Amino acid sequence: MSEARRRPIAGGAGGATEAARLTTLPREATSMGPIARLLEDERVLGFLLLVPTVVLLGLFIAYPFVKGVWLSLTSATVGNPGQFLGLSNYIKIWNDSIFQRAAYNTFVYTAIATVGKLTLGMWLALLLNRHFRGKRLVRASMLLPFIVPTVLSTFAWKWMFDPTFSVLNWTLYHFGFIQTRIGWLTDPAMALGSVIVVNIWRGMPFYAITLLAGLQTVNPELHEAAALDGATAWQRFWRITWPLLLPVTMVVTLFSVIQTFADFQLVYVLTGGGPANATHLFATYAYQIGINTGLLGEGAAVSLAMFPMLFIIVVIQLWYIRRVEGA
Amino acid sequence: MDAEGLNRRKFMTISGAAAAATVGLEGILAARQAPAHAQGTKLHLLRWNDFVPAADEVLLKQMPEASKALGAEVTLERINANDLQARITAAISSGSGPDIIHVLKNWPHLYEKSLVDVSDVAEATGKAQGGFYPAMTELCKVGSSWRAVPHAIVGGQIAYRKSLFEEVGAKEFPKTWQQYREVGTKLKAKGYPIGQTAGHTFGDAPVFWYSFMWAFGGKEVEKDGRTVALNSKETVESVKFAVGFWKDACDEGGLAWDDSNNNRAFLSGTISATINGASIYVESLRNKDKYKTEKGALMHTDILHAPNPAGPAGVFHLHAPFSHAVMGYSKNQKLAKDFLRWLHGKEQFEPWFVAQKGFSVGSTTDWEKHKMWDLDPVMLPYRTAARAFRLYGYAGPPGRAASEAESKYIITDMYAKAIQGMKPEDSVKWAESELKKIYT
Amino acid sequence: MAGRAGSGAGMVEGARWRKWVFFYVPLTFFVVGTLFPFYWMLVTAFRPDGELYRPWRAVNNTPFWTTHPTVEHVLYLFQQTMFATWLWNTMFIAIVSTIISLFCGLLAGYALARLRFPLAGGLGTGIFVTYLVPPTLLFIPLADIIRDFRLGDTPWSLILTYPTFLIPFCTWLMMGYFKTIPKELEECARIDGASRLRAMVQIIFPIATPGILSAGIFAFTLSWNEFIYALVFLSSPQQKTVPVGVVSELIRGDVFFWGPLMAGALLGSIPVALIYSFFVEHYVAGLTGAVKG
Repeated sequence: MSEARRRPIAGGAGGATEAARLTTLPREATSMGPIARLLEDERVLGFLLLVPTVVLLGLFIAYPFVKGVWLSLTSATVGNPGQFLGLSNYIKIWNDSIFQRAAYNTFVYTAIATVGKLTLGMWLALLLNRHFRGKRLVRASMLLPFIVPTVLSTFAWKWMFDPTFSVLNWTLYHFGFIQTRIGWLTDPAMALGSVIVVNIWRGMPFYAITLLAGLQTVNPELHEAAALDGATAWQRFWRITWPLLLPVTMVVTLFSVIQTFADFQLVYVLTGGGPANATHLFATYAYQIGINTGLLGEGAAVSLAMFPMLFIIVVIQLWYIRRVEGA
Repeated sequence: MDAEGLNRRKFMTISGAAAAATVGLEGILAARQAPAHAQGTKLHLLRWNDFVPAADEVLLKQMPEASKALGAEVTLERINANDLQARITAAISSGSGPDIIHVLKNWPHLYEKSLVDVSDVAEATGKAQGGFYPAMTELCKVGSSWRAVPHAIVGGQIAYRKSLFEEVGAKEFPKTWQQYREVGTKLKAKGYPIGQTAGHTFGDAPVFWYSFMWAFGGKEVEKDGRTVALNSKETVESVKFAVGFWKDACDEGGLAWDDSNNNRAFLSGTISATINGASIYVESLRNKDKYKTEKGALMHTDILHAPNPAGPAGVFHLHAPFSHAVMGYSKNQKLAKDFLRWLHGKEQFEPWFVAQKGFSVGSTTDWEKHKMWDLDPVMLPYRTAARAFRLYGYAGPPGRAASEAESKYIITDMYAKAIQGMKPEDSVKWAESELKKIYT
Repeated sequence: MAGRAGSGAGMVEGARWRKWVFFYVPLTFFVVGTLFPFYWMLVTAFRPDGELYRPWRAVNNTPFWTTHPTVEHVLYLFQQTMFATWLWNTMFIAIVSTIISLFCGLLAGYALARLRFPLAGGLGTGIFVTYLVPPTLLFIPLADIIRDFRLGDTPWSLILTYPTFLIPFCTWLMMGYFKTIPKELEECARIDGASRLRAMVQIIFPIATPGILSAGIFAFTLSWNEFIYALVFLSSPQQKTVPVGVVSELIRGDVFFWGPLMAGALLGSIPVALIYSFFVEHYVAGLTGAVKG
């Protein structure tokens, strides 16, 4: 709403200043050196500002990426460059039952974890946006899961899920909910769920804090006006808060989806892909093939198979962002 | 530490410059290059972080001695065994990294082309110490040349609770799988099941399931190393037995155990037996009063070891072999070989071997005769453990295909799937089809 | 809090009830859920080893507290390992790579959001696409580059590679923030005679502080957490970072040193938590009033 309100004004002001700039430019130009004058040029400045990024990314990611693509087209193994095979690595993994399982797992994992993180993160942000005693402390402590190095916090979860020592089972047992233990990571049906829970636990705080910051920009007067018109809290959320938060939400979700899709550490530490491949993701399976088996070509193919799928997800999200921003 | 502090300060000043100039690479290079590469006489050894810290201490003490003896600075780096392969892969593909790497499993075959031929060192060492166990030779000798020098074997034996076994009437450890299952059924009924993992673990799962399959006469391939021979009556029998064994006698949480779970379960008194390296016993000795039985006795007094029970085909073990390989990209290959000759020599190996107290056994037969074995009768079964050592990929060679099958947990999952309810015939068929993809 | 709930007049009573159901109960749920694993680490870090090995149904099992707290694990961490050095390394690497990424992301984000120049769209997408590159096996070819630049076993191997996965996010997040800042602010400054560059640095960047902090928190945390590059590119014990050092030293074969592991996790995060708690307030406050259309 305010987006819509803001735009015409901004556009109008922009139009006005456009004219102003045309008149002021010559005056400025006389007091400037040639370099400074060059920097006034949008094209020059634009490129210059991008130089550090392009150099760093070009140096450190362009080559690995190209090399990775090349590897996936060869029969390379560790210490042996291999021969060019064309797409046969991809064909091989396409028919690989473990790969299919990993692909399925990855989609389920990403979908549930993202929705979970977004909903819970939004909810938590709304809660933290209110005034209450100990607000500072609670806000800061909510970030803790995000801060603890993943490897180490995952070890803590592993211990909590442990078939023999699970504190979760202890608690449920003592409250009389269960009689026999729950195999959090043992039961193939439970294992993926448990892994998702850990992912949500870890990622939710960042959503919450970012959305909390976004919430601060929502003008309380809008809420008050809507409340006077008789809108319920639920309606106010969907009609006012949600549209205003959407741009920030979309960017955070976008990056979170990518990260979740390519997640490695968490599963690697918790289950190593077991039991019987029930929790294998693209990344863990790629690692298993590429590193543990030394089939670099095939591992790279598994790893890169993520790319087109991610790409599709991302294109949809980007398209949605553009549409929302109403360019 | 001091030099380190200096370096760090240097980095700090450079970092300022780098931030200002954005690309301060040249500066960094200049600062870093000199100490690291001017002397060509640095030897970098990468090993796993030994389960027995005392043995690592011995090595750490030996490094300065080696430096003096060889006239080069030898450094020892230790990391978690799980992470070794990531390091090896990166090192080989970039052609830079440690000069000598600790290789496990069948890695001498896996990385064959990137490892230096160390036949001279290996053969001399073997000859001087009574000859390597056949499995170690098969493992490190690829074709006609040695790609690694066998160092030691971490033996796997079944650790069990004497008192619990006696309570159900087993005076000595069961000799066959059938008997083991019967005893295990009684133990599970009393609340003390046998604990085994069927998860995706680095060590314990393959160690258990491969030897289990072999005991029943199952094998992955024929001797040619190409014809998949998994789908046999023997294998199906073993899977059927495993399902019953699991239900009757095992802790069902084992499906998701990693290598450490059975240790914890055993030490906490929830399971009565498990196949493992001696780490359970060693740990109970290390912290004697921390681990107690339900009757209050010290846990270590209640632990005994035994080899695997026999199946129709005999008794087999998949142990964890450890060797040292000289990397092909190393610029100090001769130095590295000299170092290995020195490290593997009787004189240097002995204190390390003694510090291991039987957790690792020698890779040659002479070490069976060492007087260290008189110290603790509980450890005695490990003395000859390496004799029943068989490698995965059997009856073929332990090559790349074998290692792919192992790292994809095909054999382990064949059992795990059946345990979870798949028909034994189907799970064997599934595993066979996976193996066929690998072996062709 | 509970004491006050009973008091209050009839009308407020209803509101109170609603506040409990819609606020306190869910908030408690969040606090407990989020912090429980953390609490678990804390208890484990101070629990004597003997108590660690009690199965879940054991009678003497006291999972939520310990009767004989011990500091031996913390001492072990500092005396037997180089934890303090790792902590310092991690901090140093994370801070420098965060600064580099923020610097690049800020400039690039501004250029892509505010300036019109050829290829802008393409470059923006290009930067984004690098984030899609699956990182699992990237470390293998990356090792070639580290070797060529002779960065192996130096903090720079990480400081320069971490930005590859930090910059895309920073850039895009900053783009989002810049787009919400009204253009007229900048135009006014330029009418007053400020150059493009000055307007950017002095007018726009300060307003974007919340965005910078958000991107900074994100970047810092990711570098703080990173495992695989740190594992592969560093080899001397005194160069390692907390996650790699702790895992390398405290997992021996099939035995985990739970106490020190958890103590390491806690001690490694508390300093960061303190810094964040300061930033979060600043960041949330900074946004208020800054961006109002």
